[in-house]
Amino acid sequence: MSSPATEIKADSAPMFVWNKKTKALITDPFLDDNPITVQVLGICSALAVTVQLNTSLVMAAAVTAVICSSNVTISMVRNLIPPQIRIIVQLSIIASMVIVVDQVLQAFLYDISKALSVFVGLIITNCIIMGRAEAYAMANPPWQSFLDGLGNGLGYGAILVTVAFFRELFGSGSLFGFQVVPEAAYDAGYENMGLMVLAPGAFILLGLLIWAQRSYTGFSEA
Amino acid sequence: MAFSSGYTIGFATAVCLVCSLSIASVSVGLKERQDDNKRRDLQSNILGALGLPEDGHDLVGEEIDQLWAARVDFRVIDPSGALVVGADGDRDGDGDLDEEDVLISLGNAEEGAVPDLCSLYVRKDGDKEASYAIPMMGDGLWGPITGYLALNPEATLVTGVTFFAPKETPGLGAEIQNAKFKDQWVGKKVVDSTGKGKTIQVVKGAADVLCPGETDWCVDGVSGATITSRGVDVMVAQSLDWYDNYLITLRGR
Repeated sequence: MSSPATEIKADSAPMFVWNKKTKALITDPFLDDNPITVQVLGICSALAVTVQLNTSLVMAAAVTAVICSSNVTISMVRNLIPPQIRIIVQLSIIASMVIVVDQVLQAFLYDISKALSVFVGLIITNCIIMGRAEAYAMANPPWQSFLDGLGNGLGYGAILVTVAFFRELFGSGSLFGFQVVPEAAYDAGYENMGLMVLAPGAFILLGLLIWAQRSYTGFSEA
Repeated sequence: MAFSSGYTIGFATAVCLVCSLSIASVSVGLKERQDDNKRRDLQSNILGALGLPEDGHDLVGEEIDQLWAARVDFRVIDPSGALVVGADGDRDGDGDLDEEDVLISLGNAEEGAVPDLCSLYVRKDGDKEASYAIPMMGDGLWGPITGYLALNPEATLVTGVTFFAPKETPGLGAEIQNAKFKDQWVGKKVVDSTGKGKTIQVVKGAADVLCPGETDWCVDGVSGATITSRGVDVMVAQSLDWYDNYLITLRGR
């Protein structure tokens, strides 16, 4: 995606700082501030595209690409955006990038774009992207915004892939489309868990993940 | 920082302009590639139903175009089963008979009526006609489903099938596109014991339990996708009905 190296003018100080603070921008969204399990954003797509690992990986990549580029773009123009229309400006930028990603997928990864179908378009409505634009990119320089986008995209992707791993394994007996549950197990009476391919299966898995993560990090809403 | 109304309107206009320009250029730039992908996707699915390529490897890119040109014939018939050729079937006025004309005829046909042009694809093994793929159209749960049913030269057995279910739920309705569901169709009969046309049913549950003695005309539906399975059932019956007259001539040869 658009590389910050060529486009960004530093606001002050060095441009590409790499210290504890910037590192935390990437690592925090994995555990302490995960967009899905802690902020409980982006649930819709987490349910929709996690039946198979392939689709969830591409979805994670697409969301990460969009969130990074939208964060960088919005951060670059953040001081030019009139506050009255900032939300619609963010939305226009995000929507344009999603359409570009969708078009590129249709041209170069046709099978996957077919599998993701409408969900690529729905990245536009993914609260994580709007959330990061409004909460972070509007107030921080491009490089930090890029890292923040990368961290949040990957944090979102990590949960997506984890949920998809269990759903595909238990729901279809395969991983990345390859059969992993041996035929002998089916002959012996093993059956795929139909619940896992349905949305409630994702809800239950997600609930368990949120539980596991929150008891590990000690996070509490209160 | 305060912004004047003029600035705000100007900024909004600039954002719109930049966004629409970038989308338009990406869309136009990639259009040809996307159209090629769509066409090849359809063609490789029809080829798959027709049992091509023989070794079953996945086709990519130009390979599809070459195999298509070499081995597949496009044919148009009318409801009586007679072959339509050349200008007789020209509906869009471009002087030749192609998929466009069939689509126009389909659009003009009344709900449930047989359109006056029906297309099919013929696989050629040298001079021999080895298989016939007839198109199918129906409704799934969320949107249209389509497919191609390939029959042997005597038009008695299914030799291959392909389904498209772009709007169906992945893991449920969309499973009709998977090999596990499609493979069941191969070898099923489209004629009864007297040689009369008979459709293949999609049943809920194991076919050998639910269709005792009728397993040649029965396949298992996808569990959890009752409405999509029923859509397939209706779609197959409709297509076999539309092409019945043509299939009878094939059987009579």
